[in-house]
Amino acid sequence: MRMNVTLTPAPPAVVARDLSKVYGQGDAQVHALRSVNVSFATGAFSAIMGPSGSGKSTLMHCLAGLDTVTSGTVHIGDVELTGLSDRRLTMLRRERIGFVFQAFNLLPTLTAEQNIRLPLEIAARQADQPLFDRVIETVGLRDRLGHRPSELSGGQQQRVAVARALISKPQVIFADEPTGNLDSRSGAEVLSFLRTSVRELGQTIVMVTHDPVAASYADRVVFLRDGELVTEIAAPTPQTVLDTLVKLEA
Amino acid sequence: MLRTALAGLRAHRLRLLLTALAITLGVGFIAGTFVLNDTVQAGYDQRVTADAAKVDVAVLPKGPDAVLPERLLERIRALDGVTEAQGLIRAPAPVLGKDGKTAGNAPTTALSIVPGPLDRTDIVEGTGPGTDDQAAVLDENTAKAQGFRPGDTITVLDARQREHRFRLVGLLDPGVDQELSYTGAVGFTAATAQRMTGAKGYREIDVAGTAPGLKQAVAAAAGGAYVVKTGGELATDLARAAGVETEMLTLGLLMFGLVAMMVAALVIYNTFNILVAQRTREMALLRCVGATRGQVFGSILLESSVVGVLASALGLLVGYGLASLTLTVLAAVDAPLPTDAAVTLTPVTIAAGLAVGVVVTLGAAVLPARSATRVAPIAALRTQAEEQTFRAGVVRAVLAGLFLLAGLGTAAAGVFVLPPGQQVSLVVVMAGGALTFLAVLILGPVLVRPLSALVGWIPARLFGVPGRLAVGNSGRNPRRAATTTVALTIGVTLMTLISVVTASTRQTMTVKLDEQFPIDYALSSQRLDAVIPRSVATELRGRPELSSVVQLREARVTVAGRRLGVGTYAGPIEPSLTAGSMKGLGPGQAAVDDDLGFGLGTAIQVRTPEAGTVRLKVVALFDSAESPLPQVTVAEGAFDTYFGAIPDTRVLINIRDGVPPARARAVVDAAVAAYPTVRVASSTEIRGQFDETLDMLLMVITGLLGLAILISLLGIANTLSLSVHERTRESALLRALGLTRAQLRRMLSVEALVLGLIGALVGVVLGVAFGWAAIMAMLDGAVFSAPVGQIALFVALSGVAGVLAAVLPARRAARASIVGALATS
Ligand SMILES: Nc1ncnc2c1ncn2[C@@H]1O[C@H](COP(=O)(O)OP(=O)(O)O)[C@@H](O)[C@H]1O
Ligand SMILES: [Mg+2]
Repeated sequence: MRMNVTLTPAPPAVVARDLSKVYGQGDAQVHALRSVNVSFATGAFSAIMGPSGSGKSTLMHCLAGLDTVTSGTVHIGDVELTGLSDRRLTMLRRERIGFVFQAFNLLPTLTAEQNIRLPLEIAARQADQPLFDRVIETVGLRDRLGHRPSELSGGQQQRVAVARALISKPQVIFADEPTGNLDSRSGAEVLSFLRTSVRELGQTIVMVTHDPVAASYADRVVFLRDGELVTEIAAPTPQTVLDTLVKLEA
Repeated sequence: MLRTALAGLRAHRLRLLLTALAITLGVGFIAGTFVLNDTVQAGYDQRVTADAAKVDVAVLPKGPDAVLPERLLERIRALDGVTEAQGLIRAPAPVLGKDGKTAGNAPTTALSIVPGPLDRTDIVEGTGPGTDDQAAVLDENTAKAQGFRPGDTITVLDARQREHRFRLVGLLDPGVDQELSYTGAVGFTAATAQRMTGAKGYREIDVAGTAPGLKQAVAAAAGGAYVVKTGGELATDLARAAGVETEMLTLGLLMFGLVAMMVAALVIYNTFNILVAQRTREMALLRCVGATRGQVFGSILLESSVVGVLASALGLLVGYGLASLTLTVLAAVDAPLPTDAAVTLTPVTIAAGLAVGVVVTLGAAVLPARSATRVAPIAALRTQAEEQTFRAGVVRAVLAGLFLLAGLGTAAAGVFVLPPGQQVSLVVVMAGGALTFLAVLILGPVLVRPLSALVGWIPARLFGVPGRLAVGNSGRNPRRAATTTVALTIGVTLMTLISVVTASTRQTMTVKLDEQFPIDYALSSQRLDAVIPRSVATELRGRPELSSVVQLREARVTVAGRRLGVGTYAGPIEPSLTAGSMKGLGPGQAAVDDDLGFGLGTAIQVRTPEAGTVRLKVVALFDSAESPLPQVTVAEGAFDTYFGAIPDTRVLINIRDGVPPARARAVVDAAVAAYPTVRVASSTEIRGQFDETLDMLLMVITGLLGLAILISLLGIANTLSLSVHERTRESALLRALGLTRAQLRRMLSVEALVLGLIGALVGVVLGVAFGWAAIMAMLDGAVFSAPVGQIALFVALSGVAGVLAAVLPARRAARASIVGALATS
């Protein structure tokens, strides 16, 4: 219902202003994010890149309302996350946000189909059956729906996770290293599937990765270093991403 | 390796705490029982020792009814070296309560209170009678029950049932004497005691003296017909006699302690199993860096023994506290036990408590430790701990089937083949129960999934997604869930069994009373003496309020070498005969109780006071359980010839239909008002007393089983918190997907609810089945009754308790931050 397809450029799906996050106190203080200003466009596939420990996951957690921020603000659509109660944040996640994590994405007691439908059931919403069919078709999991996660390969598990994120038509999907545990072929499958859902379903996706090849599937890549947003490139290729990274590390 | 084990302990402090608590409670109960027993025993010893110190030599008659003659006392007094000798009188003299009726269920025992150093009575208020023949003292409990205070006037019946009045001058404590605690005691001067009881001699002669060889001298004077003891020997014997009941009580309590320890063992076994499963990677890593299987095994056992020792030591303290508390309560309710001895933890108690605690803990940890040794070093490299898979093997099914068959077969044999009412039958049924329980234990993991689907059917629909996830989770780890619930099953099974047995006993008694003794009132005396004037029954027969009056007369005489009741009856009775006929029962004929073993047609010799020894021919046998007849029943006329016109022993009365009980009661009361020894009992009163006894029993047993239930709840809490820990990431995922904190908590509560209900359900099925079997084996003609309300309450409480056990783990799970939980691997 929030997928308004208009001709005028849509307002950004996620906006962070002056976002800072500090872990610990005193000597043990870690500035995981320092005054980050960034926005992610609706209907686009964006990637967050950076070396290990640069604050990618922290940024994603703050944007998704999973973690509190030290200062600054985060908006998902027209809702400001900072200062919301745990309950309101939970409701917001239910209705507007989808997640794909690096691993342990699925509940082992549920079948693939039950896992996919889980967010809808938690929110007590009816599944959009045509969408469900289309998502299942795109992910290519129709014959695996009755299987439990332990009976699926890693790539299949991640595809189920993506299907689950799509099914509730969230305003934005956050994916943290979704291909981090996959071999390159399965990884490529999941990534092209993510891109297809942006192209064909108009889904907004923000993906954290440290893999230049994965980042190249995105429309735009932003780079973090030591908690600061340093640069970004549009229409990336593996080569341009790698070059930028090398420049950053230098 | 030692250091690794200790580090493991530190890391799992919280989780081991609940396990330790289970052991602590079990050991506490057992140690408490020992401490209680020791203290009470020490109390007895102290008292009898203090008493015996006053006595140098005591002379006692042989046999319970025999007495020592006055001559003997005089002979002993005349002996050299005897400074003092006193005879003690001890015989019934009923005290009348304020209602003018004999007080208590048995005639009060009159005691002579001797002057001087040999006096052993413990006057706790007022004074003794001294030399005042008009003074009396009462034991505290009788005084309290009847509302007498020193200064009041009390009425006591003498041996011929004549009333005498005395001034109550003091109260005495009957001490360790079980008989006096039961009958109550009234103390007089020696002369008054003799006059009141008509005693023909003394029950004991106490001697004080200094001469060496005093015992021999007294023994020589007494001759071989009496028992002569030193003060020390007397003390030992008294303490032993008093302690017998305490020992029974101790044994009973220890049974409950064992049940509690069994449940604790299951809880420990489960905890270590889960801990080992969760530490698979840690174990594998140890193996990678070169630890042998033996070392891994040893480190787990070491861990468990440290837990066992610490928890048992704590249990000893808990036991000490429990015993002190119980003693305080017992003292407050004036229990007939000495509660004033110093409470001590003896070395035996300490050793037993520690041994039980450590052995149970170690024993329960052996299997988990063995499975830890099977962890391959390669497991360290796997990222995710594998879900415990479980398949119902053929071996398990066959084994369970065999146990089930054996158990049910044994129980059926106890019920259907063996005669009811015999101890063997009950033992056989219980053995069948134990075998069946083993079958359930083996089958547990197979049963968990279907049962969780069954009991989870409603919660899954009621609580939406959290409910459905919870039901799935409860059957997820069948072995773990089974052990957790079986611990609860033990307690619930025993509770249900006890409540079925009490309800059925009650029902059986009611039915029997209604069918066989349809009596509204019964008149009798405390000791079933022939004291009801025959005019009472005659008068009652004339009253329109009553429909039937049956008179029974009875005397205890020697019949074929045995002391039996010989009697007769007048009035409408339908004896239930098993052989022969009582029609036209004439002189020289008798109907006898079929339990006595006299055959139809045999002749029996009866020694009668009026007609000498007579021969009676047995012409009928009756069932004494169903007929209120004297054991040997003769015709009325014949009875008068043999025994004279003695008064009635019992009178059984029925109300005419439609007459209000209160009016009938007034009529009966008025008829016996002039006879203090005649007591009126109504069937509702008898039933009420019976009910009270059963209720009391049920309450005590339920309370004692509560400990086992409590420990099993610790088990549920433990399993749940370990599972929560294991599923940290899963919980975080659910929270990220939009499950609220409250829903996450609810999910865990429902899981606990389902576990609790499974345990309770299995327990109820077993408890009802074996309760039925037990009552059928225990009572002839038992009527089964299942207290549905009580059982439903057990099930509901188990569910609630499960939910309560989930409160802390659920809170911890809900509080965890999502990001933090996502980071754990
Ligand atoms: N819970 C935490 N407590 C303390 N420091 C943290 C915590 N989480 C992350 N950090 C620190 O914040 C920084 C950024 O971490 P993270 O966002 O995980 O980096 P990335 O995902 O880019 O590898 C790192 O230096 C990390 O050590
Ligand atoms: Mg990261």
